[in-house]
Amino acid sequence: MNLNIFIQHFINALSLGSLYGLVAVGYTMVYGILRLINFAHGDIFMLGAYFVYFATIVYKLPWAVGVITAIILTTICGLLVDRIAYKPLREAPRISALISAIGVSFFIENFAVVVFTGMPRPVVQPPILMKPITLNGGVRLIPLGILVPVVSFVLVGALLWLLYCTKPGLAMRAISFDIETTRMMGVSVNKIIALAFGLGSALAAVAGIMWALRYPRVEPFMGMTPGIKAFIAAVFGGIGSVPGAMIGGLILGFVEIMSVAFFPTLSGYKDAFAFLLLIMILLFRPTGLLGEKLEDKI
Amino acid sequence: MHRVRNLILTIIAVVLFAFFLDKAPDLLNGYWQRILNLIAINAILALSLNLIYGITGMFSLGHAGFMAIGAYVSALLVLSPAQKNAMWILEDIYPWLLNVNAPFVVSIILAGIVAAFFGLLVALPVLRLGGDYLGIATLGFAEIIRILITNTARLTNGSLGLKGIPAHTTLFMSWSCLGVVLLCTVCMLRSNFGGVLRAVRDDEVAARMMGINTFRVKVLAFTLGCFGGGLGGALMGNLITTIDPRMFMITQTYNILMIIVVGGLGSVTGSIIGSVLVTTMLEWLRFVENPITIGSLNIPGIPGMRMVIFSLLLIVVIIFRREGIMGMREFSWNIFFPKHKAKPKPKREKHDVVLEVKDVVLRFGGLSAIDNLTFDIKHGQIMGLIGPNGAGKTSAFNVISGFYKPTSGTIKFLGKSIGGLRPDEVCRAGMSRTFQNIRLFGHETVLQNVMTGARIRQKYSWWMTLAPFIFTDVLREDAEVKAQAMDLLSQLGLAEFADEKASSLPYGAQRRLEIARALATRPEFLLLDEPAAGMNPQESEELLQFIRRLRDEFDLTILLIEHDMKVVMNVCDYIHVLDQGVHIAQGTPEEIKANPRVIEAYLGKGAA
Repeated sequence: MNLNIFIQHFINALSLGSLYGLVAVGYTMVYGILRLINFAHGDIFMLGAYFVYFATIVYKLPWAVGVITAIILTTICGLLVDRIAYKPLREAPRISALISAIGVSFFIENFAVVVFTGMPRPVVQPPILMKPITLNGGVRLIPLGILVPVVSFVLVGALLWLLYCTKPGLAMRAISFDIETTRMMGVSVNKIIALAFGLGSALAAVAGIMWALRYPRVEPFMGMTPGIKAFIAAVFGGIGSVPGAMIGGLILGFVEIMSVAFFPTLSGYKDAFAFLLLIMILLFRPTGLLGEKLEDKI
Repeated sequence: MHRVRNLILTIIAVVLFAFFLDKAPDLLNGYWQRILNLIAINAILALSLNLIYGITGMFSLGHAGFMAIGAYVSALLVLSPAQKNAMWILEDIYPWLLNVNAPFVVSIILAGIVAAFFGLLVALPVLRLGGDYLGIATLGFAEIIRILITNTARLTNGSLGLKGIPAHTTLFMSWSCLGVVLLCTVCMLRSNFGGVLRAVRDDEVAARMMGINTFRVKVLAFTLGCFGGGLGGALMGNLITTIDPRMFMITQTYNILMIIVVGGLGSVTGSIIGSVLVTTMLEWLRFVENPITIGSLNIPGIPGMRMVIFSLLLIVVIIFRREGIMGMREFSWNIFFPKHKAKPKPKREKHDVVLEVKDVVLRFGGLSAIDNLTFDIKHGQIMGLIGPNGAGKTSAFNVISGFYKPTSGTIKFLGKSIGGLRPDEVCRAGMSRTFQNIRLFGHETVLQNVMTGARIRQKYSWWMTLAPFIFTDVLREDAEVKAQAMDLLSQLGLAEFADEKASSLPYGAQRRLEIARALATRPEFLLLDEPAAGMNPQESEELLQFIRRLRDEFDLTILLIEHDMKVVMNVCDYIHVLDQGVHIAQGTPEEIKANPRVIEAYLGKGAA
């Protein structure tokens, strides 16, 4: 493998990994606060892609407007999911909320089949993002490959700023320690939880849009596999940790792209790597790379 | 007696059903036969997942993977060499596999065994995880199994799948398999081992303290569950006659999960009911996806709608009826036979011993909450149980009322041993209690709270309530109980609140309501856990009067935990003092006031 091809793989892995990371951040925030695997998160990601498809291709809105509309709509969907399917179960055993989450995921996927039909739809890639640039040395890159990681890193950076430098961020971190105590400090816990869902959904929408541009098509079940993989990335990085989710996503992206690049015969097993990685980390370091050790109280 | 009767009834039911199955091919068309088959297969799958999740408490999302293993093992064994030769197009089949063949029954048993073997391999590493992580890891394994099947074309024919599997799964086959699985499951769950499984689910820590190797138990239950998964998958493959890796996606696991959630996690009966309902509904819902023609009106089918309705139902069930249809209850013939009991109780002489606690020890692991407690209470006494925080007072209440089983020692109530009885059995024996942190049925009305307390005295069975105009006992007894409850409420000054929600009452009234509810069971002996907690001096003065009145009007014997010394010293005839689980003093209020050990326990050494 020559250097040029390697660099292309590298950029490819970087953009796939940062997309996983962006989705993983949404999982990790919700899990950190509610200890709930939001199975529907991958489907929220799918909705983001569909909304931008409809906004720009069917309703012919300009790209920028379409993207913003899609993000807003997706965020509203994320908030609705929390309000309808999770909020009534806050006091219930956690497993109930988990089953509810499975139900919601199932619902959104099939609702999408009903409304959007099961047919994959092609997404038009804006030519400006696809025109290859040739660097000196013969490395050819498409702007999209650079745009995806840059946007992802900027957004996660902004999220970290929000978490660590603002009051709502402080409240969010406090809730993940102890929801009851935070409530007693006068924090409107439900608003903060909604904020976490909203932010996570907005990030998932951005990821969904970029995903749709990368593989130019949308279909109702497109969120399933990336969703599960992103959750694995979140566990790998240490569930509850935002930087961990991003790192986990990047590692997963690199493992998937590089293993197939170096061992093309393994391409059929590509989707299994994430799960193997997950099982390894759970066995040897159950709290993930950056996770903190939690012990059950006896 | 009941056991013989129930056994006979079971045999009759099974024979009748077998007769029905025998005639089914003539009575039912192919479509309904297929649904009946699917019900049996889904019930096997549901029972096995319920064993893993509902009974033993391991959240596994890997069932589809084990089904896939079972389906492939069985199919590869029953397909003829000629069929195999024709099917493997892209790559050649392994030569050894070409000629492997086995009869159907052998193949499904082997399918179960191979699935169980893989289950064991999965269980050993991942069962160290708990909760959600276990769910995700098992989901991962199922996905890996599917990817392996897709990619090992020489073994499995890859994504092309297997076709033309002989349709060996007849109604007789699927239902006999279910019969065997059901019998084994029920027998196991009724044994003490079944109790161990449930104990691991409810509190793994406590189960360990009971000397149970919980890891081993979990691995065992998981492996057994995987056997069921493999068996179900094998039957499914031989029913549908085609299998491919896409059949065993996570959706398959969700379907089974839906069945056990709807039926009731942890209930065998629930799994069966759930299979019938969910299977029938899934088939029935197909109509929304098919075009419908009503006269000249054409309604096009809506693809995907079936699953939309299905998933909405799952969400609705989990939000509004989390415990499913059966909760953790089981079917029993006994429900058809109202219990006849209620001999008139002999009137008790004053100063008969009501409760006799002897050498009771309660230990949690190494910590002893109660150490050798001995005392007795005579009829009509009001006895106080006091001591500093952590003295073991509430633990003593919990042991007496059946919430804890004493580690050793005996508790006799009205001359009969009650140590180890469940709280409900203790209640039926004539004892009732209140709780330190009020535990009302908060969403119910005040009246309903009291009426619920009276349910144990009613004689009618629930099924009679389906047709109360035929079984008029229901109406009569309910009216009686309602009148008694209103009477009780007015005696306790709660009549005006009768239709309010219990949780909306002021604090003091909630305490009184809890006592009213306890009285509704018509106890002879009442345990009050800190009735004066949180009351102001005025209210606790009223409480004093109230407790005395209770004893006199309801002919009660009362045991009371209280921190309010004024209440204790004024109302109790006799007082026992606990400190760190040890019984340190007893006597009349005057004696207790003067006892140096008591003062020391409350105020520390030197205070006396």
